[in-house]
This record gives sequence, C-alpha cells and structure tokens, in this order.
Amino acid sequence: MNVPGPLGLSGDSLAACVQCGLCLPHCPTYRVTGDESRSPRGRISLMAAAELDGAPMDDEWLEAMSTCVQCLGCETACPSGVPFEELITTTREVMSSDRPAPLRLRLGLRLLGRPRLLHWGVRTLAVLQRLGLVPRSGLFPARLPLGGGQRRSTPGGDVLLFTGCVMDACQPEIHDAVVDVLVAGGRSVERTGEAVGCCGALHGHAGLRGEAMRRAEAVMAALPGDRPILVDSAGCGAALKRYGGLLGTPAAVAFAERVFDVHEWLAANAELLPEPSGLVGQPIVVQDPCHLRHAQGVHGAVREVVGPYATLVELDDEGLCCGAGGAFQMLEPELAGGVRERKLASIGRAFERSGARTVISANPGCAMYLAAAGVEVRHPMEIVAEALEDRHGR
Amino acid sequence: MRRMSGRTRDPLLSALISALDAQRVQTGDGARRLYSRDASVIRGGRVGVVCFPETTEEVSACVVAALAHGRDFVARGAGTGLAGGAVPCDEPVMVVLTRMDRILEVDVSRRLAWVEPGVVNLDLSRHLSGTGLHFAPDPSSQQSCTIGGNVANNSGGPHCLLYGVTSAHVLAVEVVLPDGEVVVLGEEEGDSVGYDLRGAFVGGEGTLGIATRICVRLTEDPPDVATLLLDFMSVGAAAETVSAIIAAGMIPAALEMMDQRVVEAVEPFVNAGYPTDAAAVLIVELDGQPSGVADEIRQIKELARVHGARSVRVAAEEGERERIWKGRKSAFGAIAVIKPDYYLNDTVIPRTKLAEVVQRIYEIVEEQDLIVMNVFHAGDGNLHPLLLFDAREAGVMERVLAAGEEIVRVSVAAGGVLSGEHGIGLEKKRFMSLQFSPADLEAQQRLRSAFDPVGRANPAKVLPTGASCGHVTSLGRLPDGAWV
Ligand SMILES: Cc1cc2nc3c(=O)[nH]c(=O)nc-3n(C[C@H](O)[C@H](O)[C@H](O)COP(=O)(O)OP(=O)(O)OC[C@H]3O[C@@H](n4cnc5c(N)ncnc54)[C@H](O)[C@@H]3O)c2cc1C
Ligand code: SF4
Ligand code: SF4
Repeated sequence: MNVPGPLGLSGDSLAACVQCGLCLPHCPTYRVTGDESRSPRGRISLMAAAELDGAPMDDEWLEAMSTCVQCLGCETACPSGVPFEELITTTREVMSSDRPAPLRLRLGLRLLGRPRLLHWGVRTLAVLQRLGLVPRSGLFPARLPLGGGQRRSTPGGDVLLFTGCVMDACQPEIHDAVVDVLVAGGRSVERTGEAVGCCGALHGHAGLRGEAMRRAEAVMAALPGDRPILVDSAGCGAALKRYGGLLGTPAAVAFAERVFDVHEWLAANAELLPEPSGLVGQPIVVQDPCHLRHAQGVHGAVREVVGPYATLVELDDEGLCCGAGGAFQMLEPELAGGVRERKLASIGRAFERSGARTVISANPGCAMYLAAAGVEVRHPMEIVAEALEDRHGR
Repeated sequence: MRRMSGRTRDPLLSALISALDAQRVQTGDGARRLYSRDASVIRGGRVGVVCFPETTEEVSACVVAALAHGRDFVARGAGTGLAGGAVPCDEPVMVVLTRMDRILEVDVSRRLAWVEPGVVNLDLSRHLSGTGLHFAPDPSSQQSCTIGGNVANNSGGPHCLLYGVTSAHVLAVEVVLPDGEVVVLGEEEGDSVGYDLRGAFVGGEGTLGIATRICVRLTEDPPDVATLLLDFMSVGAAAETVSAIIAAGMIPAALEMMDQRVVEAVEPFVNAGYPTDAAAVLIVELDGQPSGVADEIRQIKELARVHGARSVRVAAEEGERERIWKGRKSAFGAIAVIKPDYYLNDTVIPRTKLAEVVQRIYEIVEEQDLIVMNVFHAGDGNLHPLLLFDAREAGVMERVLAAGEEIVRVSVAAGGVLSGEHGIGLEKKRFMSLQFSPADLEAQQRLRSAFDPVGRANPAKVLPTGASCGHVTSLGRLPDGAWV
C-alpha cells in the first residue's frame, strides 16, 4: 500500500520498522556519530515523518538521507524484515529529482558510460601518478596501469566475464586472475569489454534512476544469449542482479538470473578448482564488501573458494561497512574517514591476533579505499590464481 | 552532524554551545522528533535540546546549564528502553551518552573494567575476547544497548538466572549528581564504608543523576557450555518442565521459553532449525566443568522425557549455539512479520505459577481479540507477553491497554511483581501503587529527593507522584502531540 506522501513510499514498508534499535550497531554512520539521525531507525522515522506527518524536508532532513552509505548493513541486521534498500532508493530518487547531484559526481558518472574516454583518462592519470603529481586518495589504486595488461579473451567462450568500467581501466590484473583460474579449470572465458561498459551501479546509488535504467538496457542488449555472466566486482554484481527489479520486464528478470558473483559461481562448481597442495603463505584477513555480504548475501562463497588455498582470518565487526560506498567517500569524506578508521582498527586487531599482513576484498571500491590508508589489499581471485601458479611452478 | 548556528539569542543554547560546541548541540525539528522516543510505544512530550557530551565535565556542564535555565534533563543511551525511561516530557535537555563510548581500562587480574556509559554491552564482551573474561549481563538487546542504560535500568538477560542482574556486576559508578557535582559511588574492591549508595543508584532510571564512568565486574568464561533445545506439544508441559528443573536443584545458566508464534516469526530470519510446529520450546544453557555439564544434560533429558517433551536437541557446535540464541534475541524485533506494532509487558511471577498464569494471559488476550506472543525468562518467572496489533486499526489501543493492565493485575495477584527488568519509566508508574503501600512510595520519594532536591533529573518517571505525562500510544503514526 503506497501512502500519498511526497516520497511515494510503501506504508507497509515503513510500518515494518518497530523501532527496536537492533540495527543501530550495524550502521556505520551511527557508529561514528552516535546520532539517531545517522541511523537506520532514525532515517526510517524521518522518512515516515515526511511521508505521513508532513514534516518539512529541510536541510537537516536531507542531510540525514544523504549521509546514508546505502551499505544495507541494517537490512541484514533487521529481524523485522524492513526493506531498507527499497525505502532509501526511492527516497534518494525523489531527492535527486529535486536537487541535482554535485557537478563532480555528474561528470564522473558520465565518464563511466564512455569506456574509451575512461581508459584514456586512466592512462593519463597513471603517467601523472608516476611523476608524483597525484595525491593518494581512495578513488584510484596507488599505481594505475600504464598499458593494456594481458587481456586474454575467447569470443564465444563458455562463460562471460563482466569487465565493467573503472575496474577494467584501473585493475585489469584482477580480471586476468579470474581468467587464469577459470581457464585452469577448463573453461573458456569471453570478456565483455568496452562494448558493454558500465553497469549503472553508481548512477542507481546516486538516485539517478533514469540513467541507471538506460545503462541496464544497454548492458542487456550487448549481452544476449544464456551464458552465465560472472562478475568479480561485488558492486557491479549487486547492480546487475537487480536489473529485474529496476526494469520490471521478464527479459530483465531472466538476465539477472544469469548473473553470478565469480566466487558464488565457483563455489557451486567447485570441481573446477584444482586440489590444493597445502596452504600457501601467510594467513589472510577477509573483508566482506557490503555489496557482497548485505546486497548479495554470498560472502560465504569467498571463504569456500579461497579457504582451501590459504588460512583465512575473520574480522570482529560483523561486516560493518568500510566507508568507501561507491562515490560516498568523495561526497562525505569526513564521515567516510571515520567509518574507515573503525575498519582499520578491526583489521589491526585481526593482524595482531593472527600475524596476517594482507586483506582480501571482492570489491575494487573497498580495496582501493583501504589501500589508500596503507593496507595491503588483494582480490580473492588473485590469491587463488597465485596458488595455481605456484603449483605449476611458474 | 548538523551544525547549530553558532550565534543564538537563547541563553540556554549559548551556555550549552559554549560548553560543548555548535555541532554537538541540536535543536532541529528532526533531532527533536527522533529523541522524543525510545523502543517503547510510549509517547510523551518533546525534547527541548539534544546534546552529545564527550566527557564527564561536559555532562556536568549540560546539567548545570539545564538547572540554571529552569529546564529538566534526561539521560539517554541507545534508546532501546521499553518503558519510556528516556522519553522526554517538558522540553528537557536530552543528554545523549553514545559518544562516550571508550573502554578506559581492563584489569584482567582483578577482573574489572572501567568503561564510559555509552559503551555498547556486546562491544565490551567482544573487546574482552581472548582474556577468558566477559561481562555477564546479556539483555536480548545487548548488541545495541549501552552499559549506562543497563546500569540505569538494572537490566537482566537470559544468563542472569545464574549470574545475577546488572547490579551484581557494577562495582562503582562515577555520577554527575543532579546539581552537577561529580562523585564516585562504590569501590573497586571491598564494600564501601557507610551506606551502599552504588546499590541505590543502580536501577535509578536516570532520576538520581547521570553515570559517566562505570567500573564493572568481569566474569570468567565457563570451561564448558551446552545449549539444549527442548520441544513440547503444550505450553503447560514446557512450564512444568521449568519448575521440575529448578526443583531438582539445578540452576542452569539460562532457561528461556518461546511459544509457537515466536518460533514461527524468528525461524525464517535465523534458520536455527527450530521446530515450527511445537507449541513451545525451551532453551536451556548449562555451563561449568565438563563432567558437571554432562551430568546435568542427562538429568534434563530425563526430566524432559517425564514431562512429555517431543525431542531434546543438544547444539553440536558453536555456530548452532549462536543461531539458537540469535533466534531468542531477535524475538522482539521479528514480530513485524505478523503485526506492525507491539506492546510488551514485563512482569515476574513465582515459577510454580508459570503454567497457570501463562494460560490466563492467553485467555485475557483472546477476550480482547488481540494476538499475543510469549517469549520469556522462564527460569526466573519473568514474563514478556508481547501484544501484537496494528495501530492503524480504530480503537485497538484501548483493547491493548486493557489487556496490559489485566496482565499486570493477574501477575501481582499471583504473588509477582510489576517489572522484571525493563524498569518502570513512564509506562508502569501508574501501577506502582498496586505493589507498594503509600508509606513505601513515600520512602522512595525521600531517597530520590536526597539525590535530586529540585526534581530536575528525569522527572515524571518511576514514581506516581508529581506531574504526569506520557501515554501508551502507537509510534509514528499519530501526529506529534496527539496523546491517546
Ligand atoms: C529487542 C529488545 C530486547 C530487550 N531485551 C531486554 C532484556 O532481555 N533484558 C532487559 O533487562 N532489557 C531488555 N530490553 C530493554 C533495554 O534494552 C534495556 O533496558 C537497556 O538496558 C536500555 O539501555 P539503553 O542504552 O538503550 O538505554 P535508554 O533506553 O537510552 O535509557 C534507559 C533508561 O536509562 C537512563 N539512562 C541511560 N543512560 C544513562 C546514564 N548513563 N546514566 C543515568 N541514566 C541513564 C535513561 O534516562 C532511561 O531512563 C530490550 C529492548 C529491546 C528493544
Ligand atoms: S529497521 Fe529493523 S532493526 Fe532497525 S529499528 Fe526498525 S525494526 Fe528494528
Ligand atoms: S544503509 Fe548502511 S549507512 Fe544507511 S542506514 Fe543502513 S546501515 Fe546505515
């Protein structure tokens, strides 16, 4: 039942929140500020105030909504099944139609839809980085690639590897690692490449529904057929899996069913992974990206896939967000920094407990944001690829 | 955090801003709305100003500013209280303690820790992992509630059956008294000389001052733990088993009951393998030396068989234990899958009357045409009947209130008490005279006045004297200020 308020939210979704507060500790922005208006319970309550009581959507109200990382930690934690993603996405859409997103964000998002320009930009940045002209931030890896990488692709292969936009340009070595592992398991892999481009995740995050829908249609048109689409970026995977809900067409629902996080797919096809020849190297700390743990619920698969090759160490913060949150770190740097501090402290404790020195993360956004704070972060598939390399004595 | 304009003509605001800073003093419509409620269905008045102090001195400055400008003040932790203890009445200064969340000192050899009041209960036990010690009080809200709130409400939890409620685990408290003075009540070790003012303060619900540092006792982790899930075809059989376990001289670490509606609501969320067709389940936790635990498991299995349990499952590993407990601790939150609103009672009855009173509760609820879920600390007879309703339904609140009152009456008549652990707050103060004589209440008022002669510390709470405010009503769906 939709209530006739300014946000168009479902009355039942709002009523599902019983104000118990069990979500509070799972909300990164509440953890940092201790402030109800930065918590899921507070945000839901403010949405209800605007929707049902005609409370003003003033600056204070807007700030409460725009400081949400959209990590969905609250949705996982809520025993009452409040559909927070639905509530905040709808709210953000209304907000972005009333006030345009900041210029930086709009320019950045436009770039994502233009892979050639993005690749060119990244190479320019890579040169500037080597000249020491770019300060270290969480927005790009500390050392961007200058050239093409290995880029192995088999057109018409058994599975598709969704290469995306930023990641294809900035961290092609991760895609290479995935291809290595899949090929070692006897599968041929086609990279989706520049013709497909960006999945629209960040557009959707920013409340730009129209643009997100256009990106979704373009991606679907470029990837017909029924081959499985494997994704090695948790953020992109979550967005692709939501095309059904975004477009609401049977074709989009069918498309979304073809999408798998690469770990999820490998865990279900474990016979492709070679027998481990004992654990390699040091223990490794697992960081669960929110888009893997809360949005897709497949974080267990990372453990199943990497576990046989390395000793895994768990963090003690129950999957609390790291603060990266797509463009969040750029829009709310202070709050994001506070959230990252907590994650760094948790990583520090895990390092101390276990002697580990490396973190794995299945989302490039988290990886870069943590790396910018000096943590060594790898992609889980890189660990598996290296274990295979070692056994082949390369 | 939203910024207050640095310049303001309101003298109270200027005083607060100069003591804290503009960012940590909020008066926006949103802040005042959010800080006017806790996890209960009690609606009172509106907050005047919301403050986020970070030190004892700042807390004291907030209190002094409130007094100087003729305002009340209310302490608040995580706002998970279920009796409206942190709900404001007359535009008070709300002193929010969540930013005081440092664990100041852990002394493993003396088994104590000093913490700030905003430390989340579960965070302390997590912090202690590896030391072999933990903080024993474990309210079902322990992942969210603060230790300051636990102290103020003298909160209990499933494991308090064996280990005792919060007051048994608080050695000393640094308090900002209602006139702004800072004192320490209690001692790290040994009994304090003179009256036990620490004991008086614990459970004070914010009416005796604000706790700013707390010295807690740490409990040794048990060498062995076993969690059992017993399943029954009738609530009566489960209740009799509870009495039988206690009568056999065992004190389990925890002994909890959940009825079928609760089990059905939480199972899809936790996937703990609860039998959703059972009329009631008991969770029994045993701890101690491995041989003793094994022996008690045998005894409980036998008692369960005699009282008609359908099955007894012993959790095989830590993950299974955690899932069973997660189900129990999610119960209050999981009810929205049935109805969007709940009204939770919290009375204590003699264990021997469990079967009888629980049966009576089902009848009372039936008479009012409502739905009830029963999930409670069976081992100490602490009932938590949850009345479920949809506040959007016309006239439903009257029926909820009538059922609630009747449950309190039946409990007290059975030889029980008003509140097990959630406190009196705004919710239950009208029932105080059911349990206490006028002389009792007068004595309690004198204690309160000794701490707070001018009556500015969370007034209108706990004791049925003085100004009244607050009514049980639905949250969120009524315009502000509408008291039902
Ligand atoms: C899902 C759920 C399950 C629960 N389970 C249990 C349970 O098993 N057992 C149980 O006992 N309770 C339970 N509760 C009730 C509640 O969580 C406890 O009463 C808890 O101790 C409140 O802590 P808080 O930090 O949220 O305090 P708040 O709700 O913020 O405040 C509670 C009271 O304490 C006062 N106060 C807070 N901090 C201070 C301070 N530093 N100094 C002085 N006064 C202060 C406030 O003024 C108020 O009167 C549950 C609640 C929920 C929502
Ligand atoms: S969102 Fe869920 S967990 Fe949070 S307060 Fe509402 S019902 Fe409770
Ligand atoms: S999505 Fe994340 S940041 Fe937003 S309210 Fe939920 S837990 Fe908090």
